[in-house]
Amino acid sequence: MTNDRLKKFTIFLFAAYIVLGLINFFVFDMSLEGVGDRWIVYFGDGGFFGQLNPMTLIMSFAVMFLLILVARSIHFERIPGRLQAAVETFFDYFWEMVEDSVPNPKYRKQTFVIAMSFFLYISVSNVLGGMPGVNVVPVENGLNVQLFTDTWYTPTSDLNVNLTYALMVLVVSHFFAARAKGVLKWLKSFFEPNPLLFPLNIISEIAKPISHSLRLFGNVMGGGILVLIISYMLKYFVLPVFLWGFFGWFVGLIQAFVFSLLTIAYIGSLLE
Amino acid sequence: MDLATMLQNLATEGGSIGWGLYYLGKLLGAGVAMGIGAIGPGVGEGNIGAHAMDAMARQPEMSGNLTTRMLLAMAVTESTGLYSLVVALILLFVLP
Repeated sequence: MTNDRLKKFTIFLFAAYIVLGLINFFVFDMSLEGVGDRWIVYFGDGGFFGQLNPMTLIMSFAVMFLLILVARSIHFERIPGRLQAAVETFFDYFWEMVEDSVPNPKYRKQTFVIAMSFFLYISVSNVLGGMPGVNVVPVENGLNVQLFTDTWYTPTSDLNVNLTYALMVLVVSHFFAARAKGVLKWLKSFFEPNPLLFPLNIISEIAKPISHSLRLFGNVMGGGILVLIISYMLKYFVLPVFLWGFFGWFVGLIQAFVFSLLTIAYIGSLLE
Repeated sequence: MDLATMLQNLATEGGSIGWGLYYLGKLLGAGVAMGIGAIGPGVGEGNIGAHAMDAMARQPEMSGNLTTRMLLAMAVTESTGLYSLVVALILLFVLP
């Protein structure tokens, strides 16, 4: 994108934000009712498996669909265009990190694919949390659907999504370790350096997915609630633009990067 | 007796003093959790940043490599602060 077009695009973005802020200021009355609540659908007896979070499902499939559309639009040719060059440098950066931290060359490609798909998915869904969109909050009677009073619902602000990914990383890393080193040697790694330390090893393995998932969840969810509470004082006029820019784009992209970096580090550390 | 019914009893039978105690505990707990929980990560991240700057000043050609390591270490250090944030959010919004 040339400099002139970028400048025009930025001005257009700011103008759109300010128009949306004015609309929100005069049309909607903002209230903190239902902050932090989720729209949950119960079916059956509503036990552990009888609950569903429809916004998470809808938005995760939307993010996947968006990613597939973008991926299909990039055609790889012998002489790279601008988009292809950008994608190649970006993928190369990650590939070098994988080469640095995964010692076994047989598992480098799988690790790269896993980490890269996490990065793309989480960065797109975090960036969605930095744009104004549809807001669905459960209130006392039914649902409250409002347009442009809050950001899009991000799938990563649901702990179920993050915990699922962190557990997937745990299972995959142990599976790779068992396949690379053999089952006996893998089991023996729990009793190192001393059989007395077996409980500590187990605890450190359990702590991995918990910190891995709660980090992303705390950043995204805490940022969203902070933006809502701070901008409640100004009735959604100008302040959310900067806060969304900070929490949605800056923090969101860094956390997506950190999540995939930790994925590589966890898989690589068990393969040593 | 679980926590929800206990708090319900406190609020209904204690009258306005009960409600006051309920909100006092909730808000004080959230504030203290966030305030004390922010000290550790702040000190730790400052340390990491300072040492990374030191290393970058000594070896400027390593700065790309050091930045990724610094971000990773910062993210790991940040997690205790985020746990306290989650606890504060639970106290504020999820508690019955």
